[in-house]
Amino acid sequence: MTESGVAPPLVGIVVVSHSRQLAEGVVELAGQMAGDEVALVAAGGGRDGGLGTDADAIAEAISRADRGAGVVILADLGSAILASRTAIEMLGSDGTGPVVISNGPLVEGAVVAAVQASIGQSIEEVVAAAEAASTMDKGARA
Amino acid sequence: MTSVRLTIRNPSGLHARPAATFVRTAGRFRSSIQVRNLTADRPAADAKSILGVMTLGVEAGHEVEITADGDDAELAIAGLREAVEAGLGESVEPAP
Repeated sequence: MTESGVAPPLVGIVVVSHSRQLAEGVVELAGQMAGDEVALVAAGGGRDGGLGTDADAIAEAISRADRGAGVVILADLGSAILASRTAIEMLGSDGTGPVVISNGPLVEGAVVAAVQASIGQSIEEVVAAAEAASTMDKGARA
Repeated sequence: MTSVRLTIRNPSGLHARPAATFVRTAGRFRSSIQVRNLTADRPAADAKSILGVMTLGVEAGHEVEITADGDDAELAIAGLREAVEAGLGESVEPAP
């Protein structure tokens, strides 16, 4: 990117969790690893601020994370996936790039996805890396 | 094809933030870049993959071999050497 002048847009990342603090913490951690260029947006907690998920908030997060190269969603469990699907349906195809819900683990997947996105990889490459994070050897048995 | 052998001096090796800095440095170049842990003798990994780099098991004091292949291979090796020697965003003891 340094050699070619204008950098193409980077894939954005949305972190969806039942807990607002958890989503924000994952965004903080992934941002430390990936730097400031990647759009990382948290969508955590329910409408009342407690534990839950909110499709409207997820849709807004997707719009904020989308810079034209698409958005990868990392979600924790169950209804976080369902609410993410609802959010994607709500957005339709209006002016947004592809949006993919990753099957990767929340923390490791978000970190790996953010780093791969930061070097300009495609949405397919970012999704593949996030999902491969589920079998990462952390060295705990070494 | 160009390569360099470097000793990693980061206290926790090539993990977490230093690994991310390494990958982001490699990502600035068009060349295909591989990195191998010579000390642990594991298979080479793609230098542009954070998962690949973190699973090399590079600890402090380990020697790695970085190989670049492409039209900016010389620049890539120079850039990665500089980043590793500068501590990949951490403060490290200078090479003896």
